[in-house]
Amino acid sequence: MAREVASPQKQAELLKDQGNMYFKKDRLAAAIEAYTEAITLCPNVPVYWTNRALCHRRRNEWANVEGDCKKALELDNTSVKAHYMWGLALLQRKEYGDAVKELEKALDLGRERIPGNYMVVEIWQELAKARYTEWEQGATIRRRHQPAVKEFCQSLMKEEFEKRVREVREAAGSSRIDDADSILFIDEQKDGCEQQQTDEQLSADQRRIELLSQLSKDHQERLETLADVFEKAQKQDLPAEIPEYLCCKITMDIFRDPVITPSGVSYERAVLYEHLRKVGKFDPLTRATLHPNQVVPNLALKEAVQAYLKDHSWAYKQG
Amino acid sequence: MSSSGYGQKEKVLSRIAANRLQKELTEWQVNAPCGFKHKVTDSLQRWIIEVHGAPNTLYEGEQFHLQVDFPEHYPMEAPQVIFMQVPPMHPHIYSNGHICLDILYDSWSPAMTVSSICISILSMLSSSTVKARPPDDDRYVRNCRNGRSPKETRWWFHDDKV
Repeated sequence: MAREVASPQKQAELLKDQGNMYFKKDRLAAAIEAYTEAITLCPNVPVYWTNRALCHRRRNEWANVEGDCKKALELDNTSVKAHYMWGLALLQRKEYGDAVKELEKALDLGRERIPGNYMVVEIWQELAKARYTEWEQGATIRRRHQPAVKEFCQSLMKEEFEKRVREVREAAGSSRIDDADSILFIDEQKDGCEQQQTDEQLSADQRRIELLSQLSKDHQERLETLADVFEKAQKQDLPAEIPEYLCCKITMDIFRDPVITPSGVSYERAVLYEHLRKVGKFDPLTRATLHPNQVVPNLALKEAVQAYLKDHSWAYKQG
Repeated sequence: MSSSGYGQKEKVLSRIAANRLQKELTEWQVNAPCGFKHKVTDSLQRWIIEVHGAPNTLYEGEQFHLQVDFPEHYPMEAPQVIFMQVPPMHPHIYSNGHICLDILYDSWSPAMTVSSICISILSMLSSSTVKARPPDDDRYVRNCRNGRSPKETRWWFHDDKV
């Protein structure tokens, strides 16, 4: 009837519905066309932009994804989908740092609005993949560079040590002693030959022996400290066991979104709710009666996990 | 058909299930419960576990085998745990290998693990004072002839005391 006089808003909504229908049938070009028309009519509706971005994503047209997401975020900077897809586009460009930031925003916003939603799971997986790749690349470079840096440090230390030894010997002047070893044998030599030595000379030699052995000892200690520092750095960069207290008793995986029960036990939010729905209204560990409304977020644990993951990004690796 | 039949749908493990089983297996390899040995197979979904009767109990020196099958949505659902032939003579263990133990059915909790199940089973064996089949063994086993899973049984649990 009144189709001709329908308001632009209504027309745009109809076009969006059409676009959604085409998208479901995987007719992406037609969907993009419909969304584009909707955008022309009402450019201020963020969903039109994110829906079109979704089509571009399917077609792997990442520059377009980025453009549409940016526009959507200008209109509504709390759009989960826009942050998420922009993050994915940045991943494509291998800009892991920025990608991680966008994905984290999407994750936080998504959890607030739609906890346990499939999209939150999907976002986490993409985020974990990005963080892991970022770590892996860094670790590869570190593994390549560290031995060379270590060797360089060692050779500098050796040079310094040899320089100091030389200085001590030169200070001994025209003395017949010209290396550290012969200094150490001085007493025996003295016994062997009948040559008289004054007490002064003896104590000067003695001091030099002590000085040289101290130099050698210091040098060894420094080398050990250096080796220790590099070993520790390497170890921290190697995948190991994630501490049990950062893992959910049900998933046995590191916490993502921990919640705590009145018994004081923490669980991964999504699986605890699944348990309460499917298995029973009790705390899985203590078996105390438990209702969903008694469960609250465990923010301290969440922060602890984030701090741990920051230093041990390999822990993002998925099964 | 193998004894696996038991009417259980052979669905692949969910992502969460596979992930968790992998972790349990790793943990088992470094810290297996005392008296048990996991027999290596290529399947994460079915574990075969060797059980050794504890010293100073009726089952000392005896050896049994458990077959543990994990459902798609483990650990939201309990695994199916049965003794393979020949099961121990015990008032809660039927001659077809089915085990009457509440944690395997109504009292399952997703915080339990293969390890904790094994420990419960061994403690059930160890506390036994008589080597006998449950009184309703014949009737029960006859009813299970069509390959029914113990998880489909409506268990009324025997007294905790043997």
